[in-house]
Amino acid sequence: MNGRAQGDTEPPDDYLEAAIQRLLTEHNAIAEQGLTVTRRDHSLVVCGEVESAQRREEILRLVLERFPNLPVTVDIGLIRTEAPSTVEELR
Amino acid sequence: MIRIAAVGDVHMDRDVLGRFRPALEELPDRADVLLLAGDLTRHGTEEEARCVATEFGNLGVPVVAVLGNHDHHRDEVPQVIRALETAGIVVLEGTNLVLDCGGVRLGVAGAKGFGGGFAGRCASEFGEPEMKAFIRTTQAIADQLGEALREMDCDVRVALTHYAPVPDTLAGEPLEIYPFLGSYLLGQAIDSAPTELALHGHAHAGSERGSTPGGVRVRNVAHPVIKQAYSVFHLYPPYAGTGARVSAAGETGSS
Ligand SMILES: [Fe+2]
Ligand SMILES: [Fe+2]
Repeated sequence: MNGRAQGDTEPPDDYLEAAIQRLLTEHNAIAEQGLTVTRRDHSLVVCGEVESAQRREEILRLVLERFPNLPVTVDIGLIRTEAPSTVEELR
Repeated sequence: MIRIAAVGDVHMDRDVLGRFRPALEELPDRADVLLLAGDLTRHGTEEEARCVATEFGNLGVPVVAVLGNHDHHRDEVPQVIRALETAGIVVLEGTNLVLDCGGVRLGVAGAKGFGGGFAGRCASEFGEPEMKAFIRTTQAIADQLGEALREMDCDVRVALTHYAPVPDTLAGEPLEIYPFLGSYLLGQAIDSAPTELALHGHAHAGSERGSTPGGVRVRNVAHPVIKQAYSVFHLYPPYAGTGARVSAAGETGSS
């Protein structure tokens, strides 16, 4: 699911990338270290996979709340939890 | 043949409860043991550890775990361990456990590990106290892991860590953060014993397969990497460490 916020578009700089990266890790409601924040022309894309739909929603909500004037795309998937269909044979 | 199921980085909290359970119910038919490679919780709270216990406890196969950095975040490690142990999950911290798997003695040595980087691009025990403390922490954990691997009297040795022992399984992660993802000291510890397989997590954007300089197969079983409830590995004889207890010098002796 994607979320997108448009405002007066200041191009994202390196400090902003760092700020988002740290927010995702250090904010108590998120605590995700495995997400990547990348610059695409004039927006930031937050990519990765999380363990629940609630976490994805929370990330989207928080990024939009903290950076209301920034075009941010959140492209985060839910990690599958099926039993494995194959086994790795180590001989 | 020994069947090992493994997953790391499940980052449990209430919102994840029940997601793994259907696949876990199949474990007794698929594996002899389940190994959990750290980051079991989201912030390392006792309540989250109880979620891990609910999801991964009482499975019908032994469950052996190491903790990860997330499990340390709240400084509630003793409470976290107690909650896991209540559900029968064994937590290894520089320690080991030998299990009987249909007559084959499977030895698991586990430690969280820590960072520092990899040969040629690693931090050194030099300079500020914080820098020295960083590397000493990794060295101490690696020493315990090596000792825990060597001292086991078993047929098959498996090393379980959270941090990566080799850079191979980090492929996909930014190079700049490799020193925060693992240390060659862990790989060296694994190579100090006839280890069959080394499992780790932590590198969510890494890749599945690699090996140590000594030829031990390494697998990154972080949940975002394997993209399934757990991976299963089948190990076949002849096992590298059959019947051998290993001295600190790395030579095999009879036991
Ligand atoms: Fe993790
Ligand atoms: Fe981790």
